[in-house]
Amino acid sequence: MAHQHVQHIEPYSPQFGTMIPGGFQKFLRTCVLWQIIRFIAINIKMTMLILKSHH
Amino acid sequence: MARLVIMGAGVAGHTAASFAAKWLGKDHEVVVVTPNSQWNWIPSNIWVGVGEMTKDEVTFPLAPVYKKAGIDYRQAKAVSIHPEGKEGSETPYITIEYTGQDKAGQTEELTYDYLINATGPKLNFGATPGLGEGSEMGEHTVSVCTADHAVHASHELEARIEKMRKGERQTFLVGTGHGMCTCQGAAFEYIFNIEHKLKEEGVRDMADIIFITNESFLGDFGMGGLHFKAGGYVTSSKVFAESLYAERGIDWILGAHVNKVEEGKVTYEALDGEFDEQEFDFAMLIPPFAGVGLKAYDKAGENITDKLFAPNGFMKVDADYTPKPYEEWKASDWPRTLQNPDYKNIFAAGIAFAPPHLISKPMQSPNGTPINPTPPRTGMPSAMMGKAVAASIRDMINGAAEPTHTASMAEMGAACVASAGKGLLNGTAAAMTVFPIIPDFEKYPGTGRDINGTTGEVGLAAHWVKHILHHAFIWKAKLKPGWTLIPE
Repeated sequence: MAHQHVQHIEPYSPQFGTMIPGGFQKFLRTCVLWQIIRFIAINIKMTMLILKSHH
Repeated sequence: MARLVIMGAGVAGHTAASFAAKWLGKDHEVVVVTPNSQWNWIPSNIWVGVGEMTKDEVTFPLAPVYKKAGIDYRQAKAVSIHPEGKEGSETPYITIEYTGQDKAGQTEELTYDYLINATGPKLNFGATPGLGEGSEMGEHTVSVCTADHAVHASHELEARIEKMRKGERQTFLVGTGHGMCTCQGAAFEYIFNIEHKLKEEGVRDMADIIFITNESFLGDFGMGGLHFKAGGYVTSSKVFAESLYAERGIDWILGAHVNKVEEGKVTYEALDGEFDEQEFDFAMLIPPFAGVGLKAYDKAGENITDKLFAPNGFMKVDADYTPKPYEEWKASDWPRTLQNPDYKNIFAAGIAFAPPHLISKPMQSPNGTPINPTPPRTGMPSAMMGKAVAASIRDMINGAAEPTHTASMAEMGAACVASAGKGLLNGTAAAMTVFPIIPDFEKYPGTGRDINGTTGEVGLAAHWVKHILHHAFIWKAKLKPGWTLIPE
């Protein structure tokens, strides 16, 4: 059975040596509920970063 | 009453001016000198460059904002600095040449008590034959460095899409136009937006998309790469970036010094010393940056430009400029107060300060051509530097002997959101944070950075963050109610 979520990658091309997201990872990237959680997490991370950066 | 003159009104200069005017009030004078009449939220130029935003959405006129803030706005370019004054006067001054306000071409001497150099860069298109002349972009490629450039890029992109609709295959080349460029992140974001646009227009299968970069590996970003936690591993940005390109079927050319641009073709020298060519139908190549060409003179009128500025035209500050090999570089080489060592009332912020050295490992081809990214210092770091410098000057005006605030890139982090489209429910952006920007292998012996403060992920949420940043920072830059609550 073909796995449609990963397109053909030419063997031994530069692209062949890296990681490719699978179907579940791709789903999570646009799953609104999960992304709301990530949105909160990213904002917390960026706020912490800003607080650590001002001197 | 003291007078603070700020040269430049980009992220660093505008931030410094806004806070200085707020803190110093009417007791002191804040003057901004900038050749531009408009402020530009540059990160959103990417969306203008693919036709997803208009120029008006990313720019606004500076004059009414500065009038409201009580800032003396001069639409002029700074020409020279005279830090010792002139014969008969000890008062330091700069010379300016007006570009607007019905005084175009007129020159003036502007005295100062404190001076901030936040001119940003000269877009040095002329460094690569065919890429442009001086700071003017050429006719073979496009750019997203300014809002006008981005509008032009979107029209060119639309024309290529029309050709593809008619069955004509097109090659898109995006990246760096010289071996010493910075701002790979802008090219990184633009290529993903082009790819997304072509998909939306239903012509992706008619396009070959190629990234060309002076980085020795994808994900170097001029910071020597970074590492973050992902899937239970500490992963390199190389893997993260390669994955994004591979997933989208985008090819890449690494370690390339583009040395010639012609109609439909670039010639480049690679890190292995070989020369090659790449044809294109559409190319967006970032130019290298240089200082804006300010001159400096002492009291007797002798040229002291070399004393104030590094050879690349950026201003010397409290960095350790001693030449040393990569293995001996330290986080402490980087400037903290951004104060000029010779003239204590002069500071530089943002791109205008001279870095002590690269962040990425220096590399050159066997022919001796340096091919390596130069340090990024745009956006968030620029704003933090602008605010810190303004705070130090405020305190020095009020009696402090030395700068009271620091903004070392070795002690601050940066956040970067690279969109891939503009939709709230489609497209996926990459959100990255890095802390600190300059790797500190003494403090963080593993990867040089705080693994808990350095992150990267892909998803819709990053798109939402990008939208919020666009509106929040334009709100802040317009000095609308609550602007000080929006952090830099």
